[in-house]
Amino acid sequence: MPSGALLLQSIILGLLLGGLYALLAAGLTLYFGIMRVVMIAHSAFLILAAYLAWWSHSRLGVDPLLSMIVTVPLFFACGVLLQRVLLARLRAVTLTMMSVLLTFAIAVLIEGLLGYVFTGTQRRIQLGYGSASFGIFGARVAVVKLIAFGLAAVALLTLYLLMKKTTFGWALRATIQHRDAARLVGIETERVAGYGFGLGLATAAVGGTALALDTTIYPSLHWHWIGPLMAIIVVGGLGSVPGSAMAAMVLGMLQSLLQIPLGTTWAQTIFYLALFATLAFRPQGFFGGRLAQRF
Amino acid sequence: MTTRMKRIQWMTALGASLTLALTACGGDDGGSAGADDPIVVGVSLPLTGDFSEPGKGVQRGYEAWAKITNDKGGLLGRKVELKILDDQSNADRVVADYEQLIGKDNVDLVVGPFSTRLVVPAARVAEEYGMLFVEPAGAAKEVFEQGFKNLFYAAPAVANDHYNHLAEYVLALPSDQRPKTAAYAAMDDPFAQGTAYGLKEKLEAGGVRTVVDEVYPPNTTDFGSIAAKIAASKADMVVGGSQYQDGVNLIVALQQLKYQPKLAAFSTAPTNPEFAAAIGNKTEGILSPTGYTQDAKYPSNTEFVEKYAAQFGSPPEEDEANAYTTGQVVAAAVTAVGCAEQGECQKKLVEWVRTNTVETVVGPLSWDETGKPKGAHMIQQWVGGKIQIVLPAAAKETDLVYPKPAW
Repeated sequence: MPSGALLLQSIILGLLLGGLYALLAAGLTLYFGIMRVVMIAHSAFLILAAYLAWWSHSRLGVDPLLSMIVTVPLFFACGVLLQRVLLARLRAVTLTMMSVLLTFAIAVLIEGLLGYVFTGTQRRIQLGYGSASFGIFGARVAVVKLIAFGLAAVALLTLYLLMKKTTFGWALRATIQHRDAARLVGIETERVAGYGFGLGLATAAVGGTALALDTTIYPSLHWHWIGPLMAIIVVGGLGSVPGSAMAAMVLGMLQSLLQIPLGTTWAQTIFYLALFATLAFRPQGFFGGRLAQRF
Repeated sequence: MTTRMKRIQWMTALGASLTLALTACGGDDGGSAGADDPIVVGVSLPLTGDFSEPGKGVQRGYEAWAKITNDKGGLLGRKVELKILDDQSNADRVVADYEQLIGKDNVDLVVGPFSTRLVVPAARVAEEYGMLFVEPAGAAKEVFEQGFKNLFYAAPAVANDHYNHLAEYVLALPSDQRPKTAAYAAMDDPFAQGTAYGLKEKLEAGGVRTVVDEVYPPNTTDFGSIAAKIAASKADMVVGGSQYQDGVNLIVALQQLKYQPKLAAFSTAPTNPEFAAAIGNKTEGILSPTGYTQDAKYPSNTEFVEKYAAQFGSPPEEDEANAYTTGQVVAAAVTAVGCAEQGECQKKLVEWVRTNTVETVVGPLSWDETGKPKGAHMIQQWVGGKIQIVLPAAAKETDLVYPKPAW
């Protein structure tokens, strides 16, 4: 039986990890909601943002958080372009399937370019406060992990408010819920979808920066992330942002706690077990998401 | 001879297209028996693919060896010439490459490729042709369990023996100071795991209790949970079977949890030039085994570091040094036996290496009957902001600091 201190520490780590997963999965589920697109390249953009954060810190000497001033608008523009120029051209009948191939190609392209420019060497941002932490009931909370969690929370809250309180958010949700009906009431679904895609990619910029604060990055790291993220959005209910956030918190916590008895290797499998269970017993997801029922 | 001919025919039949393509490339004459002809040394290296980075390092090491040897008049009065093929980090390709080098190109000597995965298939080919096979990589114990008779690993020790000097040191401490509990975390990789488990075995036998024993997959980037387990165990010492990035991440995660062990040892990572910056210079007291350091005061090493830097513009690292060591071992055997060609000569070379000690850039090397080197790695420690040799006593630059200062 693990000690109370270890349990508390693991719960804290699980919370912090879950928050990061929630942000990273938010964009992924958004794309699917808007366009029924499976965006394999999401995590590649994540790593790209992480590299840009690392680069701006090590080469330009600015705090990695400041890199978001550039990366967030840049990624938003990239997302709009990507949707308008490439994905919108795919035929609706084969969209989901073809989007997998197309975004797979984009992922490989980004990985290759990262490898070419920055080499395959593992990089880690070296922050003055990298190993700083503070105590809470005998457990330790690392400052960088808390910053990453804070970033995730702020970004998710912004996303939520944007979706619920703005006209654009309503238009976006209308597009997600029923494209034809949205068009009938005068929403320019094509443009909204483009902006929605940009929004998804902007979350990757924030997520990548958060990720870069406390882990090593290398060009092929995105393959390590896409699996768990895909599992999270299926468990959460495809297309549902709050659902994926819930699933991310639960799975992040489970992963952290399962590492105590099972070790790192087997704790990872929780994502795939959850994926199997979801597909077998509740394909529409556990936390919302009406979309998958249409399959 | 007949078996060799059969072998070639079989090869041709099996991999016709590949062999033909390769044969087309290697069109120069095979014979090299004359006294003025160069001694051709064949090697296949992963110059592209997964292992291309270390592969190129090994290539530079071999090139430095050939140049330094030739500048001094060559071997047996003949020039040394390298014949390097690219195996693309592919184990099938490496077999075809050595078949070509030995069978078709009729090279006088072969030396080993990089990585355990490629050393084993390559050694099998060399074994069939009865060639001496000294190799610069392949420290995992599987290499020595294949029953190879001609293979020798040109480094001080295999993974499991890296920490031998440290194990002796710890077990020799007075019992009131000796660590009582130890935590181990190792990457799921034969080399990294081997280093940690080699120490674990010896310490457990000496009465140091294991309280944490974690293995993590190579792609792990979040070490929070592993660090939490180690910190919660309050182990007196922590041992990391690490490569580079995982070692850095684990140390930072441990520091975030304010875990302060009396002794911390990590393989590979602490010897990396970028290590100190990577963990924010909180390096004080961290130990690491090392197979090669530019500072080691063996006579041939001083020469190697100087001439290598002149040739390539930067000092050599471990991959380069291991390749150079391989060359030194082969050269010593050739010089002592007085021949360098295929056939009977190879048997004499093998016999000589098995029974002699060779002075190299990593110190004197000798081997047991499986080709496993009999030495142990030096132990380095971060003392006063730089990494210095602390064990064995004969080679030390400074005293080992124990218990380690807080990080």
